Amino acid sequence: MAAPLELSCWGGGWGLPSVHSDSLVVLAYAKFSGAPLKVNVIDNTWRGSRGDVPILTTEDSTVSQPAKILNFLRKQKYNADYYLSAKQGADTLAYIALLEEKLLPAVLHTFWVESDNYFTVTKPWFASQIPFPLNLILPGRMSKGALNRILLTKGAPPLYHLQEVEAQIYRDAKECLNLLSKRLGTSQFFFGDTPSTLDAYVFGFLAPLYKVHFPKVQLQEHLKQLSNLCHFCDDILSSYFRLNLTDG
Amino acid sequence: MLVRLVLHHPYPQAFLQMCNLPIKVVCRSNAEYMSPSGKVPFIHVGNQVVSELGPIVQFVKAKGHSLSDGLDEVQKAEMKAYMELVNNMLLTAELYLQWCDEATVREITYARYGSPYPWPLNHVLAYQKQWEIKRKMKAIGWGSKTLDQVLEDVDQCCQALSQRLGTQPYFFNKQPTELDALVFGHLYTILTTTDELSEKVKNYSNLLAFCRRIEQHYFEDHARGGISVRLS
Repeated sequence: MAAPLELSCWGGGWGLPSVHSDSLVVLAYAKFSGAPLKVNVIDNTWRGSRGDVPILTTEDSTVSQPAKILNFLRKQKYNADYYLSAKQGADTLAYIALLEEKLLPAVLHTFWVESDNYFTVTKPWFASQIPFPLNLILPGRMSKGALNRILLTKGAPPLYHLQEVEAQIYRDAKECLNLLSKRLGTSQFFFGDTPSTLDAYVFGFLAPLYKVHFPKVQLQEHLKQLSNLCHFCDDILSSYFRLNLTDG
Repeated sequence: MLVRLVLHHPYPQAFLQMCNLPIKVVCRSNAEYMSPSGKVPFIHVGNQVVSELGPIVQFVKAKGHSLSDGLDEVQKAEMKAYMELVNNMLLTAELYLQWCDEATVREITYARYGSPYPWPLNHVLAYQKQWEIKRKMKAIGWGSKTLDQVLEDVDQCCQALSQRLGTQPYFFNKQPTELDALVFGHLYTILTTTDELSEKVKNYSNLLAFCRRIEQHYFEDHARGGISVRLS
């Protein structure tokens, strides 16, 4: 707790502290658990060439990937799940698995694969955040990584063609959103009155989808019909990210 | 309806037996190629063939048999979430152990996967499958995991399942659902094939009792009713 915790992550836009899901999950968790993070937004001085952001740096180690970062924070006593029962903890793991399997492919597709979205919004935004010549390489690499992930996990005979895979992943994503909406109901957070890990994950995945302005918006339209999920995102933004600055 | 089931995995058999459907299990080495989607398991009912777990469940449901009708919407959401957890953690861990752990690959998997085929086809097919699986692992971020990390993930998953099951007979209390069939299928496979993974599962006594209960209730009891393969 004495050592400074620094988080490198992608910056914000459209009213969000970050437009990158993984980064947003960590930022939200840090707010919920009270972890004092010094947030370093990636900018033109960034020299890292690998795309595995967000990265947490402490005095003697670096941790990447949201799940590992959250685990690390918990070990440092920043635990947003302290009040959860064992069953609620188990439910958290299950719902996170649901998000990663059913929602993530479509979110990745919306940002990185759908050409209108990628070329008019995603690529220019990410390229504008990093120095030359990285801005020519990294967005393309992230896009390929996303496509790869989608095809390898979802595309198998007879769904060889991207169009068929696309139809399936959007169907799965819409169903997942419906399930989340039913599970949340009229509560403010998924487990009681205080936010926990699951809320951080749901917020991280949903908020960019909700707020970023894309030309091709079918999943966004679906999300906007689920008003409780939209309120969920807006509440967290206004309660925990009111300043919308990198103030940790 | 008599269902012919071609499989590599006991989940669908458990599911179909929970629905009280008379089934005949057939194990075929070329099952992947017989299947319309290239994936096992698949079922053969009359002159229809349906492959993969999701569609099989849907198909059986359309014929009037479903296990999760008694659940409310929130419970259904929970059930789906836990099924994803099992797929995400247990299935991936099984594949990791089969195809990415060098010792297991050398000693068991290559031989088993390639055994129906003559040389050199057996090597080629096994190697190709391994490459496919490794690519997929890398894409989902499991490429850099060590065996210990995988075992820890399995432990976490089993802990979650054990906590969710508690002292109930099934995950949603009195009646089994698709989730029970899926969990049984995976845990059974783990307990009967791999050492390291099964050690992790054995730490959770309610999960062991759950498997035993299902095996006794649905498999041994049904053995008299004309099932041609016994799980022993």
